[in-house]
Amino acid sequence: MRKLVQGNEAVFHGAVAAGASYYAGYPISPSTEILNIASGYAAAHHREFRFLQAEDEIASANAVIGASLAGAKAFTATSGPGFSLMQEAIGYAQKVGVPSVFVDVQRVGPATGMPTMPGQGDIMQVRFGSSGDYTPIAFYPNGTEEAFRVTVQAFNAAEESRSPVVILSDTFVGHLNEIIDLDELAAEITVVPRDFAPLARHVAGQPRFFAGVLMYESGANAGEPATADADEYRRQFYEAKQRHLDVAGRYALYEHGWNRHAEVLIVCYGIVSRVAAPLAADYALFRPIRIHPVLGDELREITARYREIVVVEANDGQYADLVQLAIGREVKRVPLLGGRISIEAVRDGVERVLAGGPGEAPFPPAATERRRPSPLEVGG
Amino acid sequence: MPELTMAELGYKKHLKVELFPTIWCPGCGIGTIMIQLAIVLEEMGLDETNTVIVTGIGCTGRMGSYLKHESVYTLHGRTLPVAEAIKTVRPELNVIVVAGDGDTASIGGNHLIHTIRRNANVTVLCNNNEIYGLTGGQTGPTTPTGTKTLSSPIGNPNTPINLQGLVRSSPHALYAKSTVYHQQHLRNAIREAIEWNGFSFVDITSQCIENNGRRIGFASANEMLTFYRKTFKRAAKGAELLNEHEIGILYPVDHPARNGQADGAAAAAPPGAPADANGHAPKVEATSAPAAKAKPAVSDDEKARRRAESQKRLALMQRLDPAVKIRVAKGEISLADALREAGVDPAELES
Repeated sequence: MRKLVQGNEAVFHGAVAAGASYYAGYPISPSTEILNIASGYAAAHHREFRFLQAEDEIASANAVIGASLAGAKAFTATSGPGFSLMQEAIGYAQKVGVPSVFVDVQRVGPATGMPTMPGQGDIMQVRFGSSGDYTPIAFYPNGTEEAFRVTVQAFNAAEESRSPVVILSDTFVGHLNEIIDLDELAAEITVVPRDFAPLARHVAGQPRFFAGVLMYESGANAGEPATADADEYRRQFYEAKQRHLDVAGRYALYEHGWNRHAEVLIVCYGIVSRVAAPLAADYALFRPIRIHPVLGDELREITARYREIVVVEANDGQYADLVQLAIGREVKRVPLLGGRISIEAVRDGVERVLAGGPGEAPFPPAATERRRPSPLEVGG
Repeated sequence: MPELTMAELGYKKHLKVELFPTIWCPGCGIGTIMIQLAIVLEEMGLDETNTVIVTGIGCTGRMGSYLKHESVYTLHGRTLPVAEAIKTVRPELNVIVVAGDGDTASIGGNHLIHTIRRNANVTVLCNNNEIYGLTGGQTGPTTPTGTKTLSSPIGNPNTPINLQGLVRSSPHALYAKSTVYHQQHLRNAIREAIEWNGFSFVDITSQCIENNGRRIGFASANEMLTFYRKTFKRAAKGAELLNEHEIGILYPVDHPARNGQADGAAAAAPPGAPADANGHAPKVEATSAPAAKAKPAVSDDEKARRRAESQKRLALMQRLDPAVKIRVAKGEISLADALREAGVDPAELES
């Protein structure tokens, strides 16, 4: 049945379609709708879906890890500040290999920031937020239907790579209402099942030891700490990295709005790509959906056809750095930061950088005059 | 020598003895907790198909690697959310959390409060050694006021956290306090906690000789255990609160098993008692009904006198020949007669 569905709601239904049976979360705008829907769903389907409103995001992230090890496909949703609190747990899930999904509906940061205006400031937090080295997989849909599909793919990628996969979103995408048919969407997906035994079902061999510290995984000293064995660390690290890259390769999702007259390619994603859509008449557009690891080969091949590459994003140029690194070529950047994102700001910014100017918008001269007058000034 | 139970003989199959010796310092108390846990697991018939161990970071966290059970070695302080989620997804599993006091009450303090509030059906064994041992001996949440540690060189200025109060704030949680010296009590407490349907917490005082004990004046782990033997006493039956240096198991207030008071204060009116003017049964003083069953109360002075007497008898017994001691113990001959035979003046018994 076709009906009006919100972006956050689509994420939840995508998760259920992908086989999720556990949600833990803590209320934070603009992701709270997912928590609300999850609690209602769990109340109605308490046999197959469990819900925990945790005391904080640290607990929700760790509960997701516990639930996943126990055999459930588990996920949580939060926004920037909560996502910061989850970073340690995400690092643990990377190290131990816990399939799990983390949804980050971004708002403007740092800290409490501008609650809850849209921003895209967590791009690098997804990549480098936890301690140590790891290779995260992350997706960023820009609409309701895509949010559903991408959520299913995120769960599948999590199972295949045995790692925490991140779904990025933002206030606009999360709160976007579009008409879609959830049943039709649910009918056409494929679901990857869990392929390792949950806790206490692994009776054949030795009991396993899921540890954040480096442990020998097999051999004579299986289960013993390997905390001083750098070779073992390298072996496990590269094994996980290769596994993640292989899985990421199967989900090389992007959208390329080709334009035969265009000499300039605009790279944007999430809400900015929706705002910038009318520019397709004058420019070519490229939108990465699998945002981490960066689509290296695809970007190199596509960007080679254009004279100029402009990355427009609602942060201070986080993804532009990664694109530049991936294609080995200078890119121009239009950092919109967060808050108000308008087609004028995007168009002006692109025209400005193409004319050799700065990507940053100049301050409107009236900004100081718009200041709220103090009571003293009013009285005097 | 008391007879060994089958569980005591069979507990080793729960341990990865091939990994021994453990990484714990000689004299550490964690091994005792592990062995008592293994004995309980054996007694209750728990194995790797129905039990999961969740451990935190710290010396205690390493216990998971020595137990032949599936275990999760979580992040520092995050045992409880992980354990609660495992129990939620797989209610048929026994989920046992083993963590230190810093892990449970300091970095994981918020999780502790809320896991108690939600009455998650998990068991927490808290190795309470009053110190951060793995990092060398810093003040922990349970370090007593005035104790000098690496991070409180002139003495800990703060009051230790009240774990009993935290756990007992829930009307559903079981709280037990024990020490690694009182092994039989510890074993009972662990068993009771695992069997408890709801949140259960065993607060186990144990010794960290290397990074705490020596610094506060103990020469050996044995001295610390002796200290526990001398200072910790069983709480009186029916106690609602464990005082400092008391061990015991506290059930929720309205639980029938609470400290033998199942038939306690809720005394019905004796049959045949006349109703008062309003037709209500007459009120009965809460203490009057169970009085016939209860043992006579013993004052603290009387207890101290008995303790001194038994210690004096013990000292005199040491002067007897082993063969005579056995006869005295069996009651074949009185201590006074035995002393007389040995040429000791039995009047010393009285003095």
